[in-house]
Amino acid sequence: MSIINISGPRREKSAVAQVRAGTQAGASRLAKGIGLALLLIALGLFILGPLITLFMWAFSKAWFYPALLPQAWTLSWWQQILLNDEIGHSIILSFTISPVVTLLSAVICLPAAYAFARYDFPGRRTFLVSLFATNAFPKMGLYITMAGLLYAFGLMDTFWGVVVVQLLSTIVIMTWIPSAAFAAVPRQLEEAARDVGAGLWTTFWKVTLPMALPGILVALILAFLASLDEAQGTFLVGSPDYITMPVQMYTLVSNYPQQAAAVFSIVLSIPSFVLLLLVRRYIIGGALAAGFHLH
Amino acid sequence: MRRSRLIALLVALLPVLVVVIFVGFPALMALTFSLGYTAGPNAPVAQLAQNLVTAEHGLTLAVYQTLLHDRAFLQDFWATIWVTLASVALILVTGWGLALYIRFSSGWFTHVVSSIYLVPLFIPVVIASYAIVTFWNANGYVSALAAKIGMHFPGFGYTLFGVVIGQIWVNLPFAVLLLASGLQSVPDALIEAARDVGATTPRILVRVIVPLNMLPTIIVATFTGIGVLGSFTIPFLVGPTAPALLGVAMTNYYQSYNQPQQAVAMAVIVFVLAAGIGALYVWANVVSDRKAGKLQ
Repeated sequence: MSIINISGPRREKSAVAQVRAGTQAGASRLAKGIGLALLLIALGLFILGPLITLFMWAFSKAWFYPALLPQAWTLSWWQQILLNDEIGHSIILSFTISPVVTLLSAVICLPAAYAFARYDFPGRRTFLVSLFATNAFPKMGLYITMAGLLYAFGLMDTFWGVVVVQLLSTIVIMTWIPSAAFAAVPRQLEEAARDVGAGLWTTFWKVTLPMALPGILVALILAFLASLDEAQGTFLVGSPDYITMPVQMYTLVSNYPQQAAAVFSIVLSIPSFVLLLLVRRYIIGGALAAGFHLH
Repeated sequence: MRRSRLIALLVALLPVLVVVIFVGFPALMALTFSLGYTAGPNAPVAQLAQNLVTAEHGLTLAVYQTLLHDRAFLQDFWATIWVTLASVALILVTGWGLALYIRFSSGWFTHVVSSIYLVPLFIPVVIASYAIVTFWNANGYVSALAAKIGMHFPGFGYTLFGVVIGQIWVNLPFAVLLLASGLQSVPDALIEAARDVGATTPRILVRVIVPLNMLPTIIVATFTGIGVLGSFTIPFLVGPTAPALLGVAMTNYYQSYNQPQQAVAMAVIVFVLAAGIGALYVWANVVSDRKAGKLQ
């Protein structure tokens, strides 16, 4: 395993042997280094390649196989997509629904996340795990029978019907990640604040919440994106009047030239990109990983 | 104190209640529907369904029996199992490799690598699938590159392996994040101690690092496994028409063939498999908790 930089035990050697071994080790280390670099470059291509090609498609006028670059460039597809009424409407709709879903999800889940983190009540763990059922049951199977329920509530093809469907894909994220964040706040700190006379509410606002904030932020943004990217349920419940961006994308992929879908892909990726960049530090820091350990 | 615990229970029940109403109840109805109960809440869906099986009294397994003798379904079923196993295995291998690299090396190159693997997290799945299929299909960029050096590459677009590639691409950030954050908590002192008593690198990896990072490994395996099992977007855009993955097959049965009962039966089958994997996740957490309890 050359990836790990741990060498075996060092032994005493004569000066000559040491020098020779040194060059040999140097050569083999170089070979290993090059091998590793190639492997990582392959990984880079694997991940970035599809996105770079998509990006080039968005600006290409003509691009025939097997050319490695488009033969002619253009910006006209951007104009067509951005000025298209239907697409504009779906962008506005997406950015109206997703904030509502995120807010509603926060109101329902954040207090529960705190309760899960700080109190021991009967069935705590079972409840925490049972939330995951939303992810384990295939969405399509749910939506088919859920349709009956939504008809009964009069939610089919309505704004709130779409909100409910998208809400379901945010619940696990919005409960598990903040709950881990609350649980990681040391109780002693809260107790210390109480000792110097802070009330329950002040302690929560001034001590607990600021410390758990990175986890909560990560959850808010991931929930927002989960809602923004949800296509299958939105398509079933929202059609034909509530077509959000990803639902529109399915139509574009099948009915429009490659360039149109490429342009729309970039437009659709911008919010995710910007939002995740904001919390990148916390995600790498483990805020997301912590949420998936039962506690 | 007892009152605050009661309040905590009630507050915690809020998301659980949403899940019970909008997931638990429909899932239960789905189960009864697939077993031949077509009245009650299942009536609106059953009304227009083709190929409907209604149990005379009680429940019937007829829908499942027909499915299990249907060759097309069996092909879809085994394709799903194959793609799930292959995806999980490859995600674990790539994820572990990257996580180890990030944990044990430093410098600007490591920083670049740890930024690149995160990229898929930033891209909606619909876009990712679309980008991957344009990149890997027969007229895609990889084929063009191969043609440039005089080789013929038929591409992975619309194949089961293409679906596996898509799953790796999409799930890699989650896998590396969990595995790397687990590896961060393996103390350097422990590795150095093992090295001091003469353990070789592979031995340290197998005997020290892997056992300490078992829980994140199981979490990654179970979550990606469940995700792949029920996935729709990637196999729909990247995968072949036949055999289709069950997520796509059940959508086809519902929307194109108008056979919701068969679609729901497939959903139940996937759910049973997913629940099995989910049990593994809970078990791994409980075992790891017990060990932690003993150590303290």
